Amino acid sequence: MARLLLLGLGLPIFVTGVVAGFAAAIRVVQLDRTVVARFEGPRFVVPSRVYSAPAMLYPGLDWKLVELPTTLRRLGYREAARARDLAPGQYAWGPSHARIHLRAFEHPSRPEPARDVVLRLDGSVVRDIRAIPSGRELGAVALEPEQIGAYYGLDREQRELVSLGEVPRHLTEAVLAVEDQRFESHRGIDLRRIAGALLANLRAGSITQGGSTLTQQLVKNFFLTPERTLQRKLQEAVMAVLVEIRYDKDQILEAYLNEIYLGQRGSTAVHGVGEAARLYFGKKTRDLSLAESALLAAIIQSPNGISPHRAPERAIQRRNLVLGLMHSQGRIGAAELERARAEALQLAAVTPDPGDARYFLDLVRRQLAESYDAAVLAAEGLRIYSTLDRRVQLVAARALRDGLADLEQRFPALRKSGRSLQGCIVALRPQTGEILALVGGRDYRVSQYDRCSQARRPTGSVFKPFVYIAALEPASGSAAITLASVLDDSPLEIRTPSGIWRPENYDREFHGRVGVRDALEHSYNVATARLADQIGVARVVDVARRLGITSSLPRVPSLALGTADVSPLEMARAYAAIASGGILPEVQGVEDLVDVRGRTLERRQLQFKRVLEPGIAFLATSLLEGVARRGTAAGVHATGLEGPVAAKTGTSDEEHDLWFVGFTPDLVAVVWVGFDEPRSLSVPSSVGALPIWRRLVMELSGGRVRGRFAPPAGVTVAEVEPETGLLALDACPERRSEYFLAGTEPTATCPATGLASPFLDGDESPLVRRRFFEWLRGQR
Amino acid sequence: MRDRRLRRRSRAPGAPLLALVLFAAGCRALAPIPPGGSPGPLRLSDLAQQGDAQRRASLRLILEGLDAEAAGAEDRGVVLYERSLGLDATNPFAYLALARHYAAREDAARALQNLDQAEVLLAAEGGYDPRLEAHLLGLRGAALASAGQWEESRALLERARERAPIEWADGRLSPAELR
Repeated sequence: MARLLLLGLGLPIFVTGVVAGFAAAIRVVQLDRTVVARFEGPRFVVPSRVYSAPAMLYPGLDWKLVELPTTLRRLGYREAARARDLAPGQYAWGPSHARIHLRAFEHPSRPEPARDVVLRLDGSVVRDIRAIPSGRELGAVALEPEQIGAYYGLDREQRELVSLGEVPRHLTEAVLAVEDQRFESHRGIDLRRIAGALLANLRAGSITQGGSTLTQQLVKNFFLTPERTLQRKLQEAVMAVLVEIRYDKDQILEAYLNEIYLGQRGSTAVHGVGEAARLYFGKKTRDLSLAESALLAAIIQSPNGISPHRAPERAIQRRNLVLGLMHSQGRIGAAELERARAEALQLAAVTPDPGDARYFLDLVRRQLAESYDAAVLAAEGLRIYSTLDRRVQLVAARALRDGLADLEQRFPALRKSGRSLQGCIVALRPQTGEILALVGGRDYRVSQYDRCSQARRPTGSVFKPFVYIAALEPASGSAAITLASVLDDSPLEIRTPSGIWRPENYDREFHGRVGVRDALEHSYNVATARLADQIGVARVVDVARRLGITSSLPRVPSLALGTADVSPLEMARAYAAIASGGILPEVQGVEDLVDVRGRTLERRQLQFKRVLEPGIAFLATSLLEGVARRGTAAGVHATGLEGPVAAKTGTSDEEHDLWFVGFTPDLVAVVWVGFDEPRSLSVPSSVGALPIWRRLVMELSGGRVRGRFAPPAGVTVAEVEPETGLLALDACPERRSEYFLAGTEPTATCPATGLASPFLDGDESPLVRRRFFEWLRGQR
Repeated sequence: MRDRRLRRRSRAPGAPLLALVLFAAGCRALAPIPPGGSPGPLRLSDLAQQGDAQRRASLRLILEGLDAEAAGAEDRGVVLYERSLGLDATNPFAYLALARHYAAREDAARALQNLDQAEVLLAAEGGYDPRLEAHLLGLRGAALASAGQWEESRALLERARERAPIEWADGRLSPAELR
């Protein structure tokens, strides 16, 4: 009976046991698969980072103008009190010398070694640069590219992967000392530690201590939620054992060091010692000192509570505790302990992401979208080296922000509409097409719409130079105009399919006969429309297309006055071709792309093609230089800006869009100001957009633009009489030098043949007659 | 069979190069001795102290690039030329060095693009040192040769050789010869 009872009870227990064991085995297999899938697949989400072009240091550089100390701090360089024995990433500034220990720049094709250099200063100018200790004079040295942003996934984790070989031994020792001192000997769980923690918690009456090993912490971060339940704890323990069975200690330690959460930078979470070393000390992990390593190990417990930025004293206290543990566990000697304890906390400056480059980051993302989708960019840790010039970008962002604020202050009506006045600015290097700066709007947080690359707006008069270029180019053997020609700015009617079109000037007046320079300098609509009508809109469209305008260009007479919608980036490229002597560059935002293993995936090539003859490009430049000297853009020189500037204002119908395009020999920048939903600003471009451009160039150049616009071969200079455009003889009342394509100089002279008509339509001017008779009187 | 072999030979990638070398060898044999006291073609190191600070620093990077190319590190050379453009994008000699690099690699399109840019910038600087003409002619000739434009190439290389018989004797310009 008893046996039967035993059998009756034992069988179900046995069966239950077998089923439970089987279920547990299945669960273990499932957990094992999860572990393997994670460890053997892409273990970490590593956002792709975008870097600026490297800043260069060279003799003759105005270090104050380029704000070198600020740049160094942004790059995470730390200022040392003494200029002796600097480590990479440190600098020291003296009255006549600056010493910088440049960090190495790791790149598959453009690596730079770490270099200790001294800059001899002469006031604000770098006199020379020498290597230490050799004393060898250096021509130019590059600072490493600056991170301008990253493409995060939804979790916004920031991480720089490191291999165990890159981690100094004292960092692993520090981590093990405080987090898991028996890591080398346990098999995933540490029973002694668990027992100790249990005892401590029982004594405290609450959970004050964890008994997790480093492997368990890794498992928890990798696979589990942070909830504290028995089931989760059990699962964690099983998985920790599985991890230990499958992988060796080095693999586990490396994964842990890359996974561990170590703080916050704004809205992004800092994971891994690589990223933390960069954030807190501006260093590579391998360059961390013992004290710095101990600090990183110290903050694992509570990265935000013991943050060295927020609570430096607590951080030092805990760092010293870690150092004490290292010593008591025999990981460091007494001398090392004392030296490390005495080390002052030297943190890299925290530079919050200014957010100014976010429109540029979006542009790069769109450009890369064909080959790399958002998921790849967010997870695969690509390094994207861009063409962006950090300084130009910062100055451009400031110029736009302050310029729009000033405009609203001067014209309060612009603020009252309830809609935000917007603007954008894009700057290119004309010869290479590299984007140096792009600010697509007033505030990225409010609107991510990039008005420089995504918006197309009527261009107003910034389109006019294309008309003049078309007229200056020889077609069928001869050009329609030279720079000395005289145009007709009298009332005009042009028949169009939609009726008669009667263009008007901005000042609602007609100016009669005007020189080509006057017509463009004062942006006369009627003279320009008549010129376009004479040469044909098709030729104007052809020029615009050659200059890289890809937007739709309706072949209507009003096209000459800028009624077509074009993006500021397109316009910048077109003017870049004029600025670079007729060579159209491909717009470039990315220099190269490197994968997480350091292999170059893509490398850009400079690309350009000749679209205008150099002589024509120069004549157009000279015209635009006149606009900036005497015309509607003369305001560029109003605050003392010196040097070669060529520019054009543009204001669309009803002052909905204010454009300003200007270039120097090595920079072209376009400014657009307006509302997203077109609405009159009631101010012209010279008031609304020009000052923003001027702020940019003034600050970049320090008020003095370098270089010059020089005539190429095939361009000659002749003295002409401005009113008539004829060759000026000595007796002419007025004369000025003018540029011509060789062979297009006027042949008739003033005053000897002063009555010969220089006009397009062969008419004679009363003014010419009057001058002729004045001259005759003067001869007597 | 013979025809097919001939066709294959004419399509071989080294054919333009071989023709160029043979042409150059002939030229070398007939090369006139430059008149005594002739300054010879321009070397970029002659310009090291010219221009403003940006130009001088930019030029030093170009010279470093030419040194790197001469030592066999061609990619490093290109990096340095491009970096020199970051300092001074209006420096025609950076494009000239790039044109030389691409001409040597028989990348005619890129060589010509860079040469155009160099010429435009030289012109914008108010003309160029006549001693540079040999290189402008020769590089265009070399680029056209790799593009298969033999007649034009031959004429240009001939003119380059007249101006710089030593440097252009072999129909190509080495980094050291430009340096």
